[in-house]
Amino acid sequence: MLEIKNLSVRYRGGHENALSGINLTFEKGEFVCILGKSGAGKSTFIRCINGLQKPNQGQVSWNGESVSNMTEKQLLKIRREMGMIFQHFNLIPRLSVLQNVLTGMFGYRSTYKNLIGWFSPEEVNRAKQVIEDVGLTEQIGRRVEHLSGGQKQRVGIARALLQQPKLLLGDEPVSSLDPGTSNHIFTLLQEMHNRHQLLTVINVHDVDLARRFATRIIALKDGKIVFDGSPELFNEIEFDHTYHNAIKNKQHSYT
Amino acid sequence: MWFKRRNIITFLILSLFIFISMRLTEFDLSKFRDFRNMIDFLSQWFPMDFSKLPNMLEDSLETLSMAFLGSFLGLLIALPISFVAAWNTSPSKYLYHFSRFALSFVRSIPEIVFGLVLLTALGLGPFPAVLAIMFHNVGVLGKLISELIESADPGPQEAMKAVGAKNWFAYLFSILPQIWPNVLSHYFYRFEVAIRTSLVLGFIGGGGIGQRLFNDFKTFQYSSVSLDVLIIMVIVIVVDLYGSYVRKKVI
Repeated sequence: MLEIKNLSVRYRGGHENALSGINLTFEKGEFVCILGKSGAGKSTFIRCINGLQKPNQGQVSWNGESVSNMTEKQLLKIRREMGMIFQHFNLIPRLSVLQNVLTGMFGYRSTYKNLIGWFSPEEVNRAKQVIEDVGLTEQIGRRVEHLSGGQKQRVGIARALLQQPKLLLGDEPVSSLDPGTSNHIFTLLQEMHNRHQLLTVINVHDVDLARRFATRIIALKDGKIVFDGSPELFNEIEFDHTYHNAIKNKQHSYT
Repeated sequence: MWFKRRNIITFLILSLFIFISMRLTEFDLSKFRDFRNMIDFLSQWFPMDFSKLPNMLEDSLETLSMAFLGSFLGLLIALPISFVAAWNTSPSKYLYHFSRFALSFVRSIPEIVFGLVLLTALGLGPFPAVLAIMFHNVGVLGKLISELIESADPGPQEAMKAVGAKNWFAYLFSILPQIWPNVLSHYFYRFEVAIRTSLVLGFIGGGGIGQRLFNDFKTFQYSSVSLDVLIIMVIVIVVDLYGSYVRKKVI
């Protein structure tokens, strides 16, 4: 479904690759958590998948089509199939919950219709349904800046779900939330993942969350994959290897 | 302990500047010996002459219209230009540099110069004054708004790209709500400035209460001058109060 071949990214002015030579294949139904220290390349990886970041080398293929070589117009069609949620939620300030969620439909509508803000009753009903799914019906008319962090991320999830995505990307979606709220958000993500039969790829800091919710864990270190497997196999040794520099001489077959 | 050599040098240089500037501006407090003249002069301003009040109000309405139209048209034109003149939303590097340059060029020409040129070309009256205010405000608001756009949070812009919206629309839709209160705040300040500018433009024949003030002054009708001044002060204060009311409502 999603195939990544020999992907490398180097930021302008950077001395080392943010990602180097990543090869991965993902199938529908997988709930993938990506672990790694800050600066390990997690964010860059997620952003390459929907083309927010252009790789220097290699490519990302979505259902057989290469995302990395697409024109801007083709990219828009691909992006609407990929919902994305963010660490800082990235909602449009001063707009209500409903208005923010409706923006999830933008990719499917003409820019003219988006500009004047005309939505058919069915479209509005679909948005209301999604808002109910994430449990925000009572907040539907409130401005998003008045919501709590957890509620904001629920709006973000609702916006992504309204895209009717096949792939759900998360760039550290719970890193600015407290542990309890993070747990709720992940439970919701898992529920939506199962209900809509998605492929979900999420960056996390919290190893426990990844172990509890993921069906597959990938660990990145210095832009390279250092672990790829089921959560049970991600043990203390792997943890140390991912998060500490001390252990250097360990043999690995993944890279 | 407190004063280093650099402080002392700065102090000496500043003193020198003050001295030179005073010489060049003929700054001389001893001229206040004739302060009584000023009091005599100002006493001619009172009592105020209310006989021409209706005409004055009509003229102040003209002034308000000049200021509103000039600054608002300026805002309408500046808004799209400022998206081109902001590095994060500009469609191309060349357009960015060109629009930046054009904005600062327009801004560097004072309204009074625009006014003098346009008044000669279009004849006396408020219309050339409106255009003069408009041109200058395109330059000023274009720069201010493009800076707001540049400092807008990139997160929502990214989110709008991620849902598959076209680039220009993603920018517009995510940036405009963020900067709107600040745009209004800048606009109201410029509106206030435009009122004062339209007074000066009235002096050179641009109409409005400014022209009336100038004429009354030149014809020694000081009891009318005082009422003109009072009306102008009221207008500026009211616009300022209204502006801060709207800003509060929006934020």
